[in-house]
Amino acid sequence: MSDKDNMTDNGTNTETSAAAKADAKAAPGAASGAAPGAAPKNGGDHIKIVKNATCTFCGCVCDDMDLTVDLKEKRITKAKNACVLGRAWFAEHTIEDRPAALIDGREASVEEAVEEAARILLEARYPITYGLSDSTCEAQRVAVAISDIVKGSVDTTTSVCHGPSGIAFQGVGETTSTLGEVKNRADLVIYWGGNPAESHPRHFTRYAVTPKGMHIPNGKKDRTVVLVDVRKTPSAPVSDIFIQVKPGRDFELLWTLRALVNGKKITADVEELTGVARETLDDLVARMKSCSYGVLFFGMGLTMTRGRHFNSGAVLALAADLNQYAPFVAKPVRGHGNVTGADNVVSWQTGYPFGVNFNRGFPRFNPGEFTTVDVLARGEADAALVIATDPASNFPKKAIETLRRIPVISLDTKPTETSRLARVAFSVATYGINTGGTVYRMDDVPITLRPAFESPYPGDEEILTAIRDKILALRPPRQDAAADRAAP
Amino acid sequence: MALELTLHTQPEVPLEAECITPQRVAGLAAPEVERLDAMHGNRRVKLGDFFSAAGKGANDIVLNGDLSLVKLIGAQMAQGSIVIEGAVGMHVGWGMSGGQITVRGDAHDWVGPEMSGGRIVVHGDAGHLVGSAYRGQASGICGGEILVHGSVRNETGGAMRRGLIAVGGDAGDFTGVNMIAGTIVVLGNLGIRSGAGMKRGSIVSMNPAPLLPTYQYACSYRPLFLKLCLQHLRGLGFAVEERHINGRWRRWSGDSLELNKGEILLFQR
Ligand code: SF4
Repeated sequence: MSDKDNMTDNGTNTETSAAAKADAKAAPGAASGAAPGAAPKNGGDHIKIVKNATCTFCGCVCDDMDLTVDLKEKRITKAKNACVLGRAWFAEHTIEDRPAALIDGREASVEEAVEEAARILLEARYPITYGLSDSTCEAQRVAVAISDIVKGSVDTTTSVCHGPSGIAFQGVGETTSTLGEVKNRADLVIYWGGNPAESHPRHFTRYAVTPKGMHIPNGKKDRTVVLVDVRKTPSAPVSDIFIQVKPGRDFELLWTLRALVNGKKITADVEELTGVARETLDDLVARMKSCSYGVLFFGMGLTMTRGRHFNSGAVLALAADLNQYAPFVAKPVRGHGNVTGADNVVSWQTGYPFGVNFNRGFPRFNPGEFTTVDVLARGEADAALVIATDPASNFPKKAIETLRRIPVISLDTKPTETSRLARVAFSVATYGINTGGTVYRMDDVPITLRPAFESPYPGDEEILTAIRDKILALRPPRQDAAADRAAP
Repeated sequence: MALELTLHTQPEVPLEAECITPQRVAGLAAPEVERLDAMHGNRRVKLGDFFSAAGKGANDIVLNGDLSLVKLIGAQMAQGSIVIEGAVGMHVGWGMSGGQITVRGDAHDWVGPEMSGGRIVVHGDAGHLVGSAYRGQASGICGGEILVHGSVRNETGGAMRRGLIAVGGDAGDFTGVNMIAGTIVVLGNLGIRSGAGMKRGSIVSMNPAPLLPTYQYACSYRPLFLKLCLQHLRGLGFAVEERHINGRWRRWSGDSLELNKGEILLFQR
């Protein structure tokens, strides 16, 4: 899956026109004053300005949006500060009339659907929960609780984007910082296997390249930006140095850099192996060793190509090695708005970031065994709870076949392939636009959402809480849990 | 007399049957074996719900049927033998310390995790992470032999500490990654990035292999240990040729990013 898919996953939100009371607190005068020209011609009391709202479209989670909301039409007419992706994300929320819940494609009440969902999950021997990266931390927490109660697996879209980095953190460790520190200190910024110009447009301007920082008074002039990728992407013009690596040779290049940084002899023909001239590497190593603060941002060009967690591990190890010379950090550039939150929530609830299984009543972590795409491709699961993602359109064929065979419960803001094949499909409100809550930026900084207007649909958290409570009410009295746990 | 277990119902979701191991069934009559507990997904079930037992619990167990969804067979095995007449699921021989497991078909991922002794023979292919450490663990197998006559996939012998892994066919990428010590012999081809992050130990291949830039050519010689090792493997049914046993080997040492005390031995002539 590429960063592009992340975007389609987010997609549009749908709203109905059903009665939503105008927010009386929205001060019309101040509002139109604050955003001159933003209000439609018939302006006035149905226009609301939301200051410092948060965009949840990508992992940058920019929290400096000024949204102009037309409460009568229930849409965002202007998103000041947003990038082109963010503007599309806010603008796409048009009104659409859909039932809040469907069972087998037929309209049902939310209560009926919740009961059906609870029944499916309770009956399943191997239920799986998947998605969660476009949902609030509060909702994610309930989803983990559900998986725990029904003794299933819980996995997030991390397993198909930066899951390998999760494995590498555990194996190698992570030298890390916030993006604020990068903004204020980093004078050497290396992007590896990512194309932020198209996937995270404000990463350059808000965090890592152009902003002026405490120790970087002249912004971009004080920074050296290096881009390493297999082809020239639209991000290349931003970089001072572009290094083109042969496809599938990132690990070899990283290993060579590690050897050079550590002063080990290299006899192999590095240029033939990696496509990068030895002088370029020596120059890069010199820059890395002499910078005052360096950062390595890595993307899915590393984590989803041959070598996966070893590629991530090599970046993390390189950053660790470089700390002999200068402060150096490595950060994954995360795609979905709250995929970082998903890692955090699942970690703090279960001890592991993704691919966690509760079949025996306690959490077990084993990517490859318990990660959703593998479980589905092997046809092992017998029920799925899919939240805010669309595996039926982007998983391998075998996994989709399994999804067609088993009962699926889907929560999404829009109709998707998954909601179409689902036994129970809920329409939910969009996080960040209709519901509040907490999301984590890609550097693990939690950010509060300021919703713009109300949706006639409930949020993920509400539905999941109802399902959880129904499960608790319906579940048979506890069996002998200790015996299940007994063996390994 | 051996205990014979035959799969009569295919599990719908993975069946974790760590009870299928000599010390658990020893001395039990067939009906008692069928009453042993297993986990079918999140439900506790009886082994008899899926297997019918014949004979009586002994040190030797024979398993029939397609067991590709049955995990943890031979867990913590310390003695005796298990013969699996078909394919087997993940984690076969988990934590094994003695005895022998023979798989006539293919084995899934994680063959012999946490193994410290005994022998696992797979006549078909095996999946990823044969003899490897689990995620987050410091070391893989620390003893015993895993002999795969077919091919294996990635990360064979990851972080292994001691023991022998032999592969009759090809190996995937990252064979012997982060290896601490031990021996891996691959009769077919090695994938890329073998021995990345290796500290000590030997990775042996009969064919030329792409090596990482952190490996340095050391010498060409006839290591005595390898002669013994290959003779041992030939005795166990591997297609080792005379020229390999008496041949010269090129020694590459690495991984220079670690201790540089590991070696990759590639057959010369
Ligand atoms: S960079 Fe990402 S979070 Fe920021 S405005 Fe653009 S899409 Fe939204």
